[in-house]
Amino acid sequence: MTLLIILMMAGITFITRYLFLHPSLPIKIGPKVSSLLSFSAPAVLTAIWVPIIFVQDESLVISIFDAYVMAATVAVIVSIKTKSIYWTVGISVLTFALVRFVV
Amino acid sequence: MIIRLYLFIRLSTLSLKKQATKRMVLKGFVDMLPLNLAVIPWGILCGSLAIQRDFSVLEALLMPLLVFAGAAQLVATELIASNTSLATILFTVFIISSRHFLYGLALRDKLKALPLTKRVSIAFVLTDELFALSTNRKSLQGKLRMIYGFAAGLSFYFGWLLWNIIGIIAGSFLPDLTAMGLDFAIAATFIALVIPSITTVPAFVTVIVAAILSVIFKLWHWQLDLVIASIIAMCCGYFTLQLQIKLKNIETMPRSSL
Repeated sequence: MTLLIILMMAGITFITRYLFLHPSLPIKIGPKVSSLLSFSAPAVLTAIWVPIIFVQDESLVISIFDAYVMAATVAVIVSIKTKSIYWTVGISVLTFALVRFVV
Repeated sequence: MIIRLYLFIRLSTLSLKKQATKRMVLKGFVDMLPLNLAVIPWGILCGSLAIQRDFSVLEALLMPLLVFAGAAQLVATELIASNTSLATILFTVFIISSRHFLYGLALRDKLKALPLTKRVSIAFVLTDELFALSTNRKSLQGKLRMIYGFAAGLSFYFGWLLWNIIGIIAGSFLPDLTAMGLDFAIAATFIALVIPSITTVPAFVTVIVAAILSVIFKLWHWQLDLVIASIIAMCCGYFTLQLQIKLKNIETMPRSSL
């Protein structure tokens, strides 16, 4: 049964990825929609990462002493300063681990 | 002699093409590498969780092999383990995956004319990470950029598979990793991708709106929280841009016409 569920799940994830790439779909993207869609990357990626930081156990956490919030603040600063994914992830994950497991 | 010259030129352009292809494959791999490394803990978590929730090795392997998704895999593993109804599992996976519709729409005009196999292949490896690398107006345009994108996407696929396999092997020895905060690495990667890309006012507005709404909708337990927050944020970015253009037009208009 699990096997069957996994196959169906695979179908769903693939369809969500493929559907709008299908050429015969009657959709035409004009310049307005195209301009709208150019904001999709910052919008979706932000909507993924911000709740990871500020919503824990279904409640809002806005305390700089929280490991998530503090390490995310560090990540934002490092990303502005270095513009490097390596430095940003490296330093902020280290901060996270220190605050969470050592302090 | 002429034939020889022709052959020589032909061969050298061929090898040049090959070199360019190789360079693009390498560049795709290198550019995706930091994202690949950042999902190591998350991949290990997905693999080990499947084993800890009594999936067979085959089932645990098929998750990254076929489903190939982070959050959807994780949530579905927990749902399957707790004997949730099939409809709920599939609906949840659909909701979590529905952000890909936006990626497909955004890339539609670049990819719809490709032959079927190429289109299917790139769709299969179209993750958040690959989309994040494809935001440039020129990305995935032309053969070389396509090779670059596909190499990046495929390297992420194999990376994800590898981290899952490590999790599957280590699964029975590892403690429960779900409460370790491994999702922070994902957040850190996306911060690294998003924050430096905020170079215009409309982009800034988009990010702020997405940030606030995604948190509010999450707290409200909206199932489509991510997608709705994103769409509203995109609209805000779009209208800000329109406003900017309008203001600029007024500024540059000759005084007599005001």
